Amino acid sequence: MVEIKNLKKIYGERTVLDIPGLEFRDGETAALAGANGSGKTTLLKILAGIIKGSEGGFHIPENVLYMPQSSYAFRGDTLRNITISGADRKEALELLEKLELSHLAGKKAKSLSGGELQRLSLCRVLSRKCDLLLLDEPTSACDAKGAELVIKAIKDYQRESGCTVIMSTHSPLLALNAADRLIILNGGKVETDGSPEETLANPETQWAKSFVAGWKI
Amino acid sequence: MESFRQAFELLFPPDRELLQIIGVTLRMSFFSTLISCLIGLPLGSLIGSKSFRGKSFIKKLIHTLMGLPPVVAGLIVYSLFTHYGPFGKLNMLFTVRVMVVAQVMLITPVVIGLTSSFIESASKPVIETARGLGFSGLKTARLCIGEGRSSLFSVVLNAFGRSIAEVGAVSIVGGNIQWKTRVMTTAIMLETNKGKFSFALALGIILLIIAFAVNAVASFIVKENADG
Ligand SMILES: Nc1ncnc2c1ncn2[C@@H]1O[C@H](COP(=O)(O)OP(=O)(O)OP(=O)(O)O)[C@@H](O)[C@H]1O
Ligand SMILES: [Mg+2]
Repeated sequence: MVEIKNLKKIYGERTVLDIPGLEFRDGETAALAGANGSGKTTLLKILAGIIKGSEGGFHIPENVLYMPQSSYAFRGDTLRNITISGADRKEALELLEKLELSHLAGKKAKSLSGGELQRLSLCRVLSRKCDLLLLDEPTSACDAKGAELVIKAIKDYQRESGCTVIMSTHSPLLALNAADRLIILNGGKVETDGSPEETLANPETQWAKSFVAGWKI
Repeated sequence: MESFRQAFELLFPPDRELLQIIGVTLRMSFFSTLISCLIGLPLGSLIGSKSFRGKSFIKKLIHTLMGLPPVVAGLIVYSLFTHYGPFGKLNMLFTVRVMVVAQVMLITPVVIGLTSSFIESASKPVIETARGLGFSGLKTARLCIGEGRSSLFSVVLNAFGRSIAEVGAVSIVGGNIQWKTRVMTTAIMLETNKGKFSFALALGIILLIIAFAVNAVASFIVKENADG
């Protein structure tokens, strides 16, 4: 289980994240939404141990994987970019196949397009095992087809491993198709928290209503 | 033109004294670069990758030391190693070793400064990605070095370039003694002071050729192993 208690992140005078209490069940898939600067990345980075919270704390499982908002290509070809995580060649090729990147296996990863690189970055993360999977906007660079592939890969990985997934997104498609729960952040605070369908159809607060209205499906 | 002819004559066939001076120059620059990189690369990586109290003060200090005038470094080392100084007993003044000491003092801050700003900017996404994959600190560090090797390599070459071109500090602590501590730059100074400008320029041309050759060989070696 993931348990967040009184977690705050403060930069100078500004509190960019303020979560009195939030829990995630084992095996749950949650989507984090909210405007630019609402604290999605900050929350994921704190859980991933990349940055430290200013106050409060949290409890998470031992094995955590995190995919950053901007994907990084390591030196070398696409295949090496996956096997670098410790996966063997066969597993890596299967993942590439799944994300429809097989034809790029021998290409320099640095030469991949934005959407291709993002899918490669997902392959690299999914080549490892974990109990908690943190994804920062995993479909942000993908076209419709790419997003579909990413969603399927995430769901399959979740089903096979039973891990908890927390992912941030600006895509209603990802929230509706992959998540059991949608949390909308506003200025670092939880604005609404509920099922994606319910939240999109019937936003609880006035602010969430106007935010969701901007989400065209 | 006269200088090019003289440079050519000095090199073909090689002048015995010139060869000795080049030898001292390369030996001094090699050890200065080696020692300052052994200290500066790890320290720079540490400062660049960690955040701690007093970091901005340390960075300001390093940036100041990066601009330390060579003659000042020379004077400090001179006063440390002079007969009555704290290290006078070592009897190292006017040796190549003390020239290396002075140069290490000059170059190490440069290596630290360049390494830390490189690590700070370029390694951030590497560290984030590697930590996100649950890699150990050791594996993350190895990846950072692997990903940034061409930048780190240019830090090393920069250090070497400074060392081979430097004259103020080595002339003070080395004394420009013929057959012993004379290096290319101090030889150029001497010839200039004697009024033999074209001969000085000839030496300058040879110094440039050496620097270029070292750079070329070094980048060839790195290219061979890198490719990526
Ligand atoms: N190192 C930092 N120093 C100061 N402020 C920061 C720092 N990092 C983030 N912030 C601020 O924290 C706030 C939350 O940023 P965060 O990256 O979490 O937003 P986000 O919800 O992920 O936005 P986006 O949708 O654009 O990715 C922003 O206003 C940002 O300016
Ligand atoms: Mg973000």
